[in-house]
Parts: sequence; C-alpha cells; structure tokens
Amino acid sequence: MKKTLPAIIAHAAVILALILLMGFLGVIAAGVAAEGSEKFTGELERNVTLRILENDTAKEQGYLKELLEAFNKEYAGYGIVAVDANMDQYTDLEMGGPYGYGPDVLYQANDALMKYVDGTRKHILPVPVEKLDCYAHVDDNAWDAYKVTIDTQEFVCGVPVNIQQPLLYYRKDLLPENWETEWDDDRNGVPDMIENWCDLYRYSQLIRQQSAGSKYGYMKSLNDGYFASGYFFSYGGYVFGGEDGKDTTDVGFSKNDGYLGGKIIRQLASVMNLECTEDTITKNSYSRMAQGAYFATMTTPDVYTMFLKEMVLAGYTEEYAKENLVMTSVPKLPVSGDLEDESQGFREMTVMGGVNGYAISSYTKAPNAALAFVNFATSYNMINRRAELLGISPARGDLAETLGGLNATINENLADGTIYVMPSVRALAQVWTPLQTYCAVLADDALTGKNAYVTDDALKKGIANVDSQIYAAIHTLGGA
Amino acid sequence: MNQAKMKVAKAKTQKVLNILITYCILVVVAFVFFFPCMWLVLASFSKSGSIYSFDGFFPAEYGFDAFRTLFTDTVMYDYPKWFLNTLFIASMSCIIGTVLTILTAYCMSRFRFKSRKAMMKTTLVLGMFPSFMGTIAVYLMMTQFNLINQHWGLILIYSAQAPMGYMVQKGFFDTIPYSIDEAARIDGASNFTVFVKFILPLSKPILVYTALTAFTWPWSDFILPKMLLIDKNLYTVAVGLMSLGETEFARFAAGSIFIAIPIIVLYFCLVKYMINGMAAGAVKE
Amino acid sequence: MKAIAKCKNFFKTLSEKLKALPKKLSARFAGAKEILSQGNGKVTASMAVMGLGQLLYRQWAKGAMFLFVQIAFVTYFILTGATDLFGFFTLGTREGNAWYGVEGDNSVVMLIMGILAIFMIVLYIAIYIANVKDAYRIQCAVDTLKEPAAFREEAGALLDKSFHKTALALPVIGVCVFSILPIVFMILIAFTNYGDTIVPPALVSWVGLENFRKILTLGQFAPTFFKIFGWNMLWAVMSTALNYLAGLGLALLLNKACVKGKAIWRAFPILAYAIPGFITLLGFKFMFSYGGPINYYIQQGGGEAVGFLGLDAKWSARFIGLGVNAWISIPSTMLLATGILSNVNTDLYEAARVDGASAWKQFIKITLPYVLFATTPVLITQFIGNFNNFGIFYFLRDGLNIDGYFLASDTDLLINWLYRMSIDNNYYSIGAAISLVIFIITSVISLAVYVLSPSYKQEETFR
Repeated sequence: MKKTLPAIIAHAAVILALILLMGFLGVIAAGVAAEGSEKFTGELERNVTLRILENDTAKEQGYLKELLEAFNKEYAGYGIVAVDANMDQYTDLEMGGPYGYGPDVLYQANDALMKYVDGTRKHILPVPVEKLDCYAHVDDNAWDAYKVTIDTQEFVCGVPVNIQQPLLYYRKDLLPENWETEWDDDRNGVPDMIENWCDLYRYSQLIRQQSAGSKYGYMKSLNDGYFASGYFFSYGGYVFGGEDGKDTTDVGFSKNDGYLGGKIIRQLASVMNLECTEDTITKNSYSRMAQGAYFATMTTPDVYTMFLKEMVLAGYTEEYAKENLVMTSVPKLPVSGDLEDESQGFREMTVMGGVNGYAISSYTKAPNAALAFVNFATSYNMINRRAELLGISPARGDLAETLGGLNATINENLADGTIYVMPSVRALAQVWTPLQTYCAVLADDALTGKNAYVTDDALKKGIANVDSQIYAAIHTLGGA
Repeated sequence: MNQAKMKVAKAKTQKVLNILITYCILVVVAFVFFFPCMWLVLASFSKSGSIYSFDGFFPAEYGFDAFRTLFTDTVMYDYPKWFLNTLFIASMSCIIGTVLTILTAYCMSRFRFKSRKAMMKTTLVLGMFPSFMGTIAVYLMMTQFNLINQHWGLILIYSAQAPMGYMVQKGFFDTIPYSIDEAARIDGASNFTVFVKFILPLSKPILVYTALTAFTWPWSDFILPKMLLIDKNLYTVAVGLMSLGETEFARFAAGSIFIAIPIIVLYFCLVKYMINGMAAGAVKE
Repeated sequence: MKAIAKCKNFFKTLSEKLKALPKKLSARFAGAKEILSQGNGKVTASMAVMGLGQLLYRQWAKGAMFLFVQIAFVTYFILTGATDLFGFFTLGTREGNAWYGVEGDNSVVMLIMGILAIFMIVLYIAIYIANVKDAYRIQCAVDTLKEPAAFREEAGALLDKSFHKTALALPVIGVCVFSILPIVFMILIAFTNYGDTIVPPALVSWVGLENFRKILTLGQFAPTFFKIFGWNMLWAVMSTALNYLAGLGLALLLNKACVKGKAIWRAFPILAYAIPGFITLLGFKFMFSYGGPINYYIQQGGGEAVGFLGLDAKWSARFIGLGVNAWISIPSTMLLATGILSNVNTDLYEAARVDGASAWKQFIKITLPYVLFATTPVLITQFIGNFNNFGIFYFLRDGLNIDGYFLASDTDLLINWLYRMSIDNNYYSIGAAISLVIFIITSVISLAVYVLSPSYKQEETFR
C-alpha cells in the first residue's frame, strides 16, 4: 500500500496539473481581446470565388446564368469569379454561415434577411449603401425594410431588388359580355369587379347562381395569413406597434377597426366553398383558373408563369392565355367594412408585402468583391433584365417609371404605405398560426352556418383573442 | 354412418368457409395497402402534373411527361444524381449499420457481463428523449469534425445510431436455443466461430429484417440530410423531392415511385429467407 | 390487484438491492485494495506511467500499446482537451463580432467539446484502471510461476472469451458519441439560458434551475400540458396496440397453410413499407382534405363535403392519424412477426394437436406467449416511438390553435407542442427543460414496464 498509492497520486497529480495549466493558459489567451476592423476598405480582393444564393425562379428562367456571366466578364481582370451557391433558396445563413458553409451573397425576402441581424445576431454585414449606384433610385420605404438600430446607431443591412405584393389575377374572357354597360358604373373602362371588392363579391354570387354552384368568382385560401392580414390592416390593424413596427409587446390586429377585416373574410367565404378554410385553393387555383372554374384569385406576381403554363395545358394558345390572364393591383375595400354596403365609398386596400434584396454574409472572405457584385446586380441594366425575364416589380424607382404600368403603381403603393412591409423580426414566425386559425374559423363559421361571428362584438372578441395568443406565443417563454 | 358423414360434410364446409374468410380478409388488406400506392402511380402518369386536375383519384389525362422531365430536366432538380447519392449513402449505412446492430444484439443475448443490464436499460431509456432537440448537437458536432456537406458524415451517423435499435434482434437471438452454442463449443469452436458458423446461418430472417430497416431509414430519411447536406448536388432524393414546387405533383409521384422500387426489389430477392425460416433445421429438444 | 402485487414486489426487490449495495461496493473495492497492498514495483511503474510495468515484464506489444494510449491522451489534453474542459464551465468569455472580424467563443460548441472532453477523461480513467489490473495480473502469474499470457493468446481471446468486448467496442463508441452525447447536451442545455436572443455569437451561461422555475410558474401551462399528455398516452397505447395486433394478425393469416401465393399477398403491405413516410403522409393529407378525392366522390354523390382534418375534426382527425400510422407501421411489424413465427418450435403445435386443442387455444397458449416474450422489448420501443411520433400530426394537421389549448391543437402530441413552442422562436433552453420533464415521466413508466416484463425477468425461459 505504501509503495503503490503515491504512484497513483503522482500520476493523477501530474495529469491534473497539466489540465489546469493548459486550461488556464487557454482562458488567458482568450482574454486577450482581438482587434477588429472595418471590412469594407474599398480595395477589391483578388482571385476569389463568390458563392451567390439566388432564388429558384432566377435559376429556372436563366437569369442567374446571365448575371454571373456578365459579372465574371466585367471582373475577370481582378480574378473575381461569382458562382451559383447551389443551395436551397431558403437556406438559413445562421446554420452554416458561422462554420464556413454559407453563401457570400444572398437574395432573400426582407424578413428572412433581417432575422440574421436580430438582437446579438450579426450574420449579415451592414452595407455602405451610399456607395451603391442604386442608392438614390430606391425609395426610402424600401431601404427602411433593411434598417436596424444597434446601440442608437443605424445600419442598413440589405439592398432592395424588387417589391413583392399580392395582386389580383383574373380571367378577362370570363367577364360578363355586357360588363361595359352593366358593370362599369363610373364608366372608366375598367370593370367594377376588379376595382372594388363589393362588385367582385356581387359578381362571385352571380357566377355561383348561374352555374348552379359549379363555378366560382373570387377564390383564395382565406386561412393564408399573408394574404388575409391585408383585410385587417386596411381598417387600422397592424402586426406589431412601435415606430418601426417591431415592438412585439404591442400586437395590433384588433386595433382601430381591425375587426372589420374579419367581417370581410366571413363575407368572402360565403361565395366560396369549404376548401377556403385550408390551403387547397392556393394550390389548385392554377389549374382551376385554367379550367375556368375560378374567375379571379389573389397571389404574388412571381407565379404568373405557373398560371400561364396551366392555361396552355388546358388547351389555350399561349397568346390567348397571355391576353386573357390579367394581373392587376388589388381592388378597393368599402369604407363601411361591409361588402354589401357601398354607401360610404371606398378606400385603398392595404396589403402585406415585402422587399426582396441582396445581403452580404458576415463570414465572406471577400466583402469588397461581394459588395461589387451587389452593386453590379442592382444596376439599372441587370434589374431591367431581371424584370424582363422574371416579371418582378423593381424597387428602383427610375426603372419602375420607365417600365410603367403595374410596376409604377407598386412603387407608389410602397411609398404611400398601402403596402405594409413585413416586419423584419423573428417573432413574426409566431403570428401565422393564431391568425390562420382565426381566419379558418371565420370562413368555416360562414359556410357551415354556425354563425357564431355575426355580431361586431363577436368579431372584436375573436380578433382580440388572436392578438393575445400571438403575444402569449412570443412572450410566455421568452419573457424574463 | 349418416352422422359421421354429416360430421365430415360439416368439417368440409367449415374448412371452405375458413378459406373463404381468409381470402376475403386478404383481399381487403391487399386493397387497403395497394390502393394508395396505385394512386401514386396513376398520379405520376398525369399529363398536367398538378394533382388538382384529377377527377377524384384519377388523372384527367395520362402521359409520360413526369418521368421524362424527372430524368432529363436536371438543371434545377437533378434527380438521377440524387438517386445515386441516396443509393450510396443507404447502401453504406446498411452494411455498416447491420454489422454493428447484429453484433450488439448477439452480445447482449449471449454474453453475461457486468454492465449488461445497465446498458440494456440505458438504451431503452435513451430512445425516449425527443430526438429533434438532439439534432442541434449532432449538427454542431459535425461542423467540428468537418463532416458537413459530406456523404460520409451521414453514413457515420446512421451507422453509429443503428445499434440503438438492437432490441428486435436480441429478441430473435434469445429464441435460438442455447444447445446449438453448447454443442459447437464442445467441438472446440471459439465464440467468434460459433457466431459466424452456427448462429449467423440460422439468423437469415433477422439479418434480412435488419438490413432492410438499416437500408430504408437512410433511404427515406429527410431530417438529417436536410440539415447536413447544403450543396444541391449532394442532396438525397427525399430532400430533393421536398424542394419540388407545389404544382409538380406528378413529378413528385414519379420520383417517389423510383424510391420505392429498390425496396420492393430487395424484398422480392430476400423474401425466401424471410418466409422459409429455419426453425425446422434447428436443434430441437 | 395483480398490478399492485407486482408493484409491491418490485419495490421489495428494489429495497433488497439497496440493502445489498454496501456489500457489493466493498466487494468491488476489495479488489482495488488487494492491488494497492500487494502490487510490486513493476505494478507501481504501471501506475506511474501506463504500460511501463508491462514493458518491464517484457510484454512489449501490450506495454507499447498502453504507453501509446498514455502519450495520445497527454497530447490530446495539451492540444485541446484542457481548454475544452475549461470551456465547459465558462461557456466562453469573449464575445465575437462578425461585422468587424472579431473572433469570439461559440458557447454551444464549447459545451459540446467540453462534454466530449469529460467523456475522454472517463475513457482515460477506464483504460488506466485496465492497465493497472493487467499489470497486477501479470504479477500474479509470474508469482505463481506461470508463464504470463502471450500477446497472441490474449489477442486470440478477443475472438473467444472476450468476444463481446471486441464486438461491442465500435457500437458503444458510436452510440456514445452520436446518441448519448447529444442527449447529455440537451439535458445540460436545460440548465443554461441558450435560446431566443442568446445564441452564438452571444455568450451562453449556466442559470441553474431558472428554466424549471419558469415552467412551473406559467399559469397557462399546466391545463394544456395535462390535456395533451392524456391524449398522448392514449395515442401511444392505442396506436401501439393497433399496429402490433394487426401486424401479428396479418403475419398469422399469411402463415396459414391454406393461403396460396404467400409472397404475392405479402408484397402488398411491402408496397406501403417501400414508400417513404413523408410522401405517404402528404398523400393522405391531400386525400382527406376538402379538395381531395374522397370529398370529390362525396360531392359527386350529392353529399356535403366533410372536414376530416378540419377545425372541429377532433376525433376524426385522431382516428385518421391512427389509421395512417397503422398503414405506415403495420408492414414492418408484420415482417418482424413473420420472422419470429418462423422460429416457433413446431413440436409444440403437434403435441397440442394430438391433445385436441383448438386453433384458438393453440394461439393463446403457444403462439401468443412465445411472440410476446420475443417482442416485449420491441413493443416498448414501439410504444416510445409512437409516444414521440412527431411526423403524423405535423404533416396531417399542422398550424391550428384550438380553443382551450395553449398554442396547440387537440391532435398535437407533446412533441408537436414542444416543437411549436421551442423551435419557432428558438427557445432551446426552455424546450430542453420541458423535454427533460416529459422524458423523466415517460422513462420511469416504460422502465418499470420493462423491468417487470417476463422477457426481462426470465430471459432464459424459451431456451
């Protein structure tokens, strides 16, 4: 015992001492603060490869290839090569980025991009936007979607490319033949049913009557929060309060006359069928529109080609399809909040929209080259080409004006606030389920004749309950 | 005499009735399992591609477009490549995973060592932990081992986690009589030889079962490859199919059919092992 | 009554075991004491430096191996092990700032590497003890004038007497790193503030029981928890029973002598088995939706569309979930049961037939006990699998908040609820705390069932 025990103790002591020594050395080494420096020095890195994450449509339509080729030609002298990152378009930078697996430049929606700079997260770089060519041409509201305040200092972390907003799609050939006389009260040459929701509602009723229930007018999955939230916004509701719309302690769908949105949803449901309580209509609208079973629907501009494809499959020529499938801005809502009461006139509908754009990963090895890429990709010519190939509405005001039509309107909508830009906060993820359930309940209520939400009081209570559920989802677990 | 005849007749009708009922149930079961699969096959032959241009279960128009695009339109969705990736990952994980699982189960069934019961209880309890939370740890570990975006990383995880499910196999080995081992050991065989020469040949059904599960899990798993494979060229079929657009149902269905085929083929190749069994040949007491 | 008696029995054996514990422990330490007091100089050498004693006994290969392990571990500690171990306690001291290229500590990675370091230390201690024991064994052999086992012999034993050690080495390491380590990580996360805004690069810190306090003080929490827990238990029991009985029944049916073309009949369930689960689930969701084929036929027949998975579809959605789960799981149970049935001793049946036992009696007396015995562990694993079956209702009926439930729907299982609460906002630490609570409840139940089951108690019965 006497001989052996010291050997064990010595062994343990040596190992322990070793661990303690190395451990403390490590802690001390970590204590030496590393110096950081500004990344955008203005000096282009040479011989680097940039991985660009673009969305699937840009890839499918060949735009990405064009963009990369043009850029690589321009910057061949510096040895800068931009390549397709070849990742999922919704890739979460937070997952791979810090470990070196993310893209260098990413194109995503503003809420997706800005969740990378929430709280202490700093996964995308603040961009020196004044240096970009597009700076002066993009509306302030679009820039706002990418602004973030950290310690009273304001940063812009993304560069707007295009504006996403819901649009009304309808079949021109399914308008009543006599619309010019019967359905154009203001004689402005635009059918009333695509100008205001009251007439769209009336026309939907008529179609259902005439076809004995086999055809529909306006159809849309009403439980889709992204599209349904617009009805609440139009009557004064909002997602989050605060000056920048990011105060998650103030959930406001029920604020002002927000509850009227629920009333509209109930009424719209009554001209649809139970499929509107789930996502079926969103999915089948492509083929049903082509079959002529639906007259109109609401969705974003980027899926136009899918509708066209289905119409061609249904036996129409492409010219006919292009001629008769029309995209237009959403109709106006009645001030009264009742689709059967136009007496108080109409107001513009506020819709939830977004600003898609580029951001630069904080983990890129070549920030200056990446900035050069973003500058190149947001130039007048490239965005013009993008609009041409993909049918997007550019955020560049100069281009939108030249292109005119819907593009100009969308730009104006953003400027005057009829597009409610998706709040760039993580907590937005908790909004959808409560809102979606409530909208489905409303539609179900109207269609199955439960009629629990007929009175204004019931509607007010219902939407207030949504607010409190969202609040609970965000703050019960997180609240300190 | 008459009574006996009646008895025979009664027994005969009973037998016929028995067979009839058996087949009725079988037909119903077959239909229940077959119908959704057939629906998937029909959907893949839909011309328009969208599931909403169907009349009930049947596509309005038929065509081979889905299969053609599945293998030719590879710019966005490189199905052939994904298929090969999946085949590689699943085969490797199947081989390694089966070996490890069978070894574990055999040891747990045949050897009595100190930590055995503790190990058995631990593995049982560990399976109860909600697994999605552990995936964060797995991901972080893989970043540290530099195994993100690599097929071998996936194979490593699948094979390493496979022995956790050794219970089924252990149950099987428990039912193989000890007398076989004893007889062999009297002849001077080592434990290794007993295992390889005597136990394994008796274990074909469970080997097949293990291999099949070890193969199908990586073959159809979605969560791990989605997390660990970033480059689209490295995707597995499951991840790739989930990234398909919502109007591409026919292509989705066609892709799914090609995932199902290898497993069905495997089944038919291995079916005789599973059915004939070997109980008859084993030592009986 | 029987159950109570069983429980009593369980506790009785438990208390007996506890009483026997000190004795057992002292028996264990007796060995250590013996080595400590009887070990000679060479054993002491092994205690100081691993493998040294063996080398002094001229056991070159083994000595070199132990020495190599010693060197490898010391190198590991110097390179990263020590820092990793410290990182486990500090969870990082320097916050990074990616905007200015300031590299910081990643708390979560440090936690994982710290756990790994602790695993390594445990491994080191185990090898160290093995090394000392080995040296002492050689000493004893030499003292009794026996030739100590040659290296070749000992290596040979790895295929025979200690075959289990060889065979289990890889699986155990694999399971430790990829199954146990993540779970340890998750359990530890429950005691930190990881999540919400505190994710790397922000530094995570230990907060003790704070998360558990938060859960307990949440008023809305308990009612929903018990409602969902009740349904979760019901679901797990029903689906396990359904899958098991149906799978077994199908296997028996196909085993009948009168069935011709067994391979073909068996192929139909295999079809279901061959299609990946998520595809099946998406397919079934569509089939039962308002716009799906079933409602198409109902409407063609002049009926009203039925919301099988809709807002008020509590029980119909639950039953569809059960059915779909059965569709997915029965084939594998059937395969398993077929394998096991092929192993039943046919003599027993013959004897029974001679005794004039009916088919039903044969099933109850021979088949069922046998199959139950062979599959109890499987039954438990399946029960657990169903208890934590995330996919079914996530795919079939996600995105609903039902009145009376706190942020959940009436078909959600605990795991779905947990996912909804913890993943959308990344409340990892709270999520981990809740799963720990659920985990403790479920594991106690299933462990008790397992320990009381005949296949655990009498492993040797059917030999």
